[in-house]
Amino acid sequence: MIGEQFPWLTFLVIFPLLAAMPIPVLPDEDGKTIRWYALGASLAEFGLILYVFTTQYELGSAGLQLVEEFSWIPQFGLSWSLAVDGLSFPLVLLSGLVTTLAIIASWNIKLKPRLYYSLMLLIFSAQLGVFLAQDMMLFFIMWELELVPVYLLISIWGGQKRQYAATKFIIYTATCSVFILVVALALAFSAGGFSFNLSELAAKEYSLPFQLICYLGLLIAFGAKLPIFPLHTWLPDAHSEAPAPVSMILAGVLLKMAGYGLIRMNISILPDAHLYFAPVLAVLGVINIVYASLTAFAQDNLKRRMAYSSIAHMGFVLVGLAAFNSLGMSGAMLQMISHGLVAAVLFFLSGVAYERTHTLSMEKMGGLGKAMPIAFAFFTAGAMASLALPGMSGFIAEITVFLGMATSDAYNVFFKAGVVLLAAVGVVLSPIYLLSMLRNIFYGEQGEVKLPKDSSWEILPREAFVAVCLLVPIIGIGLYPKVAIQTYSAKTVQVAARIQTTLPDVPDAAPLSKVMMMPGAEQIIAPSL
Amino acid sequence: MESAEAIYQYAWIIPVLPLLGAAIVGSGLISYNEATNKLRKPVAAFIVSLIGAAMTLSILILVSQLQGHAPYTYLLEWASAGDFQINMGFTIDHITSLMLVIVTTVAFLVMIYTDGYMAHDPSYVRFYAYLSLFSSSMLGLVVSPNLLQVYVFWELVGMCSYLLIGYWYDRDGAADACQKAFVTNRVGDFGLLLGMLGLFWATGTFEFDLMGSRLTDMVSMGTISGGLAALFAILVFMGPMAKSAQFPLHVWLPDAMEGPTPISALIHAATMVAAGVFLIARMYPVFEHIPTVMSVIAWIGTITAFLGASIAITQNDIKKGLAFSTMSQLGYMVMAMGVGAYSAGLFHLMTHAYFKAMLFLGSGSVIHGMEEVVGHDPALAQDMRLMGGLRKYMPITAITFLIGTLAISGLPPFAGFWSKDEILGSVFAVNPVMWAIGWLTAGATAFYMFRMYFSTFEGEFRGNDMEARTRVKLQSLQMAGASMGPGAMSAQELEVSSSAHESGDHHHAEKPHESALSMTFPLMMLAIPSTLIGLVGTPFANYFEAFIHPAGEALTVAEIAEEFDMNEFVRMAGASVAISVAGIILAVLMYRARKIDPAAIAKKIKPLYNLSLNKWYIDDIYREVFIKGTRNLAKGVLNVDVKIVDGIVNLTGFVTLVTGEGLKYFENGRAQFYALIVFGAVLGLVFVSGLT
Repeated sequence: MIGEQFPWLTFLVIFPLLAAMPIPVLPDEDGKTIRWYALGASLAEFGLILYVFTTQYELGSAGLQLVEEFSWIPQFGLSWSLAVDGLSFPLVLLSGLVTTLAIIASWNIKLKPRLYYSLMLLIFSAQLGVFLAQDMMLFFIMWELELVPVYLLISIWGGQKRQYAATKFIIYTATCSVFILVVALALAFSAGGFSFNLSELAAKEYSLPFQLICYLGLLIAFGAKLPIFPLHTWLPDAHSEAPAPVSMILAGVLLKMAGYGLIRMNISILPDAHLYFAPVLAVLGVINIVYASLTAFAQDNLKRRMAYSSIAHMGFVLVGLAAFNSLGMSGAMLQMISHGLVAAVLFFLSGVAYERTHTLSMEKMGGLGKAMPIAFAFFTAGAMASLALPGMSGFIAEITVFLGMATSDAYNVFFKAGVVLLAAVGVVLSPIYLLSMLRNIFYGEQGEVKLPKDSSWEILPREAFVAVCLLVPIIGIGLYPKVAIQTYSAKTVQVAARIQTTLPDVPDAAPLSKVMMMPGAEQIIAPSL
Repeated sequence: MESAEAIYQYAWIIPVLPLLGAAIVGSGLISYNEATNKLRKPVAAFIVSLIGAAMTLSILILVSQLQGHAPYTYLLEWASAGDFQINMGFTIDHITSLMLVIVTTVAFLVMIYTDGYMAHDPSYVRFYAYLSLFSSSMLGLVVSPNLLQVYVFWELVGMCSYLLIGYWYDRDGAADACQKAFVTNRVGDFGLLLGMLGLFWATGTFEFDLMGSRLTDMVSMGTISGGLAALFAILVFMGPMAKSAQFPLHVWLPDAMEGPTPISALIHAATMVAAGVFLIARMYPVFEHIPTVMSVIAWIGTITAFLGASIAITQNDIKKGLAFSTMSQLGYMVMAMGVGAYSAGLFHLMTHAYFKAMLFLGSGSVIHGMEEVVGHDPALAQDMRLMGGLRKYMPITAITFLIGTLAISGLPPFAGFWSKDEILGSVFAVNPVMWAIGWLTAGATAFYMFRMYFSTFEGEFRGNDMEARTRVKLQSLQMAGASMGPGAMSAQELEVSSSAHESGDHHHAEKPHESALSMTFPLMMLAIPSTLIGLVGTPFANYFEAFIHPAGEALTVAEIAEEFDMNEFVRMAGASVAISVAGIILAVLMYRARKIDPAAIAKKIKPLYNLSLNKWYIDDIYREVFIKGTRNLAKGVLNVDVKIVDGIVNLTGFVTLVTGEGLKYFENGRAQFYALIVFGAVLGLVFVSGLT
């Protein structure tokens, strides 16, 4: 077995980068070789991910697996350290799927295809690097590495205001990500020993004020990326200008890096600070949900509306993380996976609509259902998934977050009730903005955009393939969520158990019925009608 | 015994069969659209036979339950986190087996009917796929063993309803209606979700019985206040309020009539809208111990029953009239549940499912016939002012519609009499005021139903009266214009008179014809239960109540019969028959014998007439308050986002940029600046941590 020695994860991270190397010199006479080459490379990479994960990874174990560590620049204490566990596993799969499909979705890129596909492959490497890195400095490098291609992809292949959007994107995320570096240095230097290794950092004991400051720094860094109100305004601009495949990756995977960072660093390394910040996360999450849902409803630009919808959905991740128990943690993870798939399919389909109508203004569209009935069906399915229809992945994610918050023992009843109530307002608002989106685009009579009489606008088999590849896991997870949950649950249970220990003595069981059985249990004061 | 067990183990097949049909046809439509669309009859036959198989299985299960076999529950771990798990599965008991049979029989007949009704529709195949998907979700709902699974299928039937109301998606009316239906139902589901979470927080379970018993214990022990328990229960009740079109969340149901008529019969009369009543029945272990909640439920039902009937009186659109009637009848069921008449409420659910499905299918047959004369314009084909005298042309439709009318009016021995009488009897024992409202509503019901019957089937045929057509068309445009605002109106108005004449000129027929056998056969089949099924629940031999009762209140037929008091029955039944007959006589005088002029009465009570015609202005109020309110709020928030939040951050960005530019003069490029920040920050952190 070479599996024992062969550095599979290193190979996975480096392979797309290596594959991108020869692109500038490949012969490309008819303009088709490059895209086939890029597709081949990403398919090979995705296949490898699947192969490695099915043969080498053991589900249900909470610890790190396939650990690889090489000293890289010992002077700085930097090591090339990769490993996979329950948090990385589903997100690596997600990024493999979404990036590969984004390359298929980029089939008609005419402008500078060599650079475009090289950048796509570079993002692929960087994403895997972020999710697999076990060294905080390496994590930071990978995080930064992913910013550059996204900046270029928006600023070269974007829409009218691409420069503005790309600059805003880079300023926001680069500025805020400085905090990752700062905190990494601070953590490494303090409390004895010098190492960037995440497990070692998590094992150290830090003083509470120090933890709080570091937590805040990381929260700003990840908050800009997730994004959290009020650091979210780059996202609608970036999405409305980015080409659809870039939006797929941006919403589908890159936002998840922030959620991943919150669990991997804020919660795992700084659990004591999490106790203090969790209510803040809950409040921010609720603001994300309600505020972004309302803003989404007021948007006329299709992709801006979906960008705000992404912000709202990421609010559930925050609420889940704030719940302080394994249910909430599980819901947050599931929401990330689910939103990755749902946002990818919706952004992809909006690209399909844009290629045909040449507008993103929903006001100008109308009656598209007649011209593209199958695209209409996919779009409806995507919108239903996004509004958390049962039978699709979003429902189980959101209901788990709700249950986690409702049974959380970290808050008093009023706080919990308030959070649940306001988050549930999002459940009413999401169909309002999503169904009115469908209404404006597909229903009714022809709008300003003239429709063809024939079926020339109908979705192409290639496009249908992309949509189906995303919808199948959405429905699969919706029908049998254990498929997705088992990939990470051992790890989230462990993380939740760790933070539970920071709670000042509370009864271990959440449901009131069990509390009730305990003699002398405190009575819950409830408002009477 | 063994064979019964085997049936129960395979009961999950019942919802899965139609799901399979929908999945196969749906993927066919997506991958080989044109080829699948050509397979009209094979697809219809396939879907109908699947639901037929499900129906057979359901009947076997009902028979087995009638023989007294024990209930059966199967659970499967669906999702888990830590030591917490969510189970899904199915349960077979009395009420489930009854609901299974109601749903499958109505669905089966509606699907046969669809073949005739949708014969000329280009998306015939898609319609069958949706129907099958709906049946599957509805069957999944009735077999659900816990509240969470009910919620899952609850939302799924809502989605199917959305797809089917918006089936003709190029029509603006349908497009608006489906959105309204979904959002209104989500408002109800918002309450259901919160109530469900609250109950789970309190009791730690989603099982109906456990939830009820634990909550009762906790309230009696004082662990949780009675007010909070009542609040949770009322939040849960918001779900049924939306789904069963109860005031104030009823507004979606009349608009839902934009969907094709088979849908109105199946979803918006017989099955889905009754799901709310079903959920109240399931939640009985929780509700029945909280008197506040029971009286809220009863009063909401009473108000809805009256409201629906009062609006139905003035409607001219045959389907809208039936929709308000459905709302009113659902009000009766909810009222019954609220006063504790559990089995009476479900009895009315059953009888209503059959006779209302028949009435809707009958109206579909009428519309189909009218379209031959006035063209495919819902505003004309569904307006009763253009009908009349149809009995001559469509005798089967007329007779079955009359049976339905008699049943809903509550005349013995038709089905509606027994169930409605049982409800009114139980209500009288609890609250005479409520009874009086219900009793008056019964009179109004008889009146508007006979008004509908006479305007449609008796007298002279008015479909060829061009002036009437123009008038109706104009009015419908004005109604649409009023809701859309001024603007595009005048030009359309000019066109109307010409187009109305024109469409009349080259329309195929002068006279409507009876519909095809595929449509009349389901009508005839439904006429049987509409006439006879009430006999299983007569007060002197109430087999229904012996079978369907809340847990722990089992009584045999003989025991129920012992409680029966002939004098009281005669008094109560006499009163309700009397008011129905009064309503019918009034309808005869106004719309058959024409002794009283309805227009003159309308003029005399103009404000009341307008109140009813405009649906108590509830839609207008909601439009002003909620729809415009949400829009304005959203716009306001967007303004804040663009001008303030984004503005501040952009300003910060500008400052950074300026300082960055400035720094360039001092240092060489950004890298140093970057390093400087990092260094400064690290220094600061180390400093701070050193201090503490």
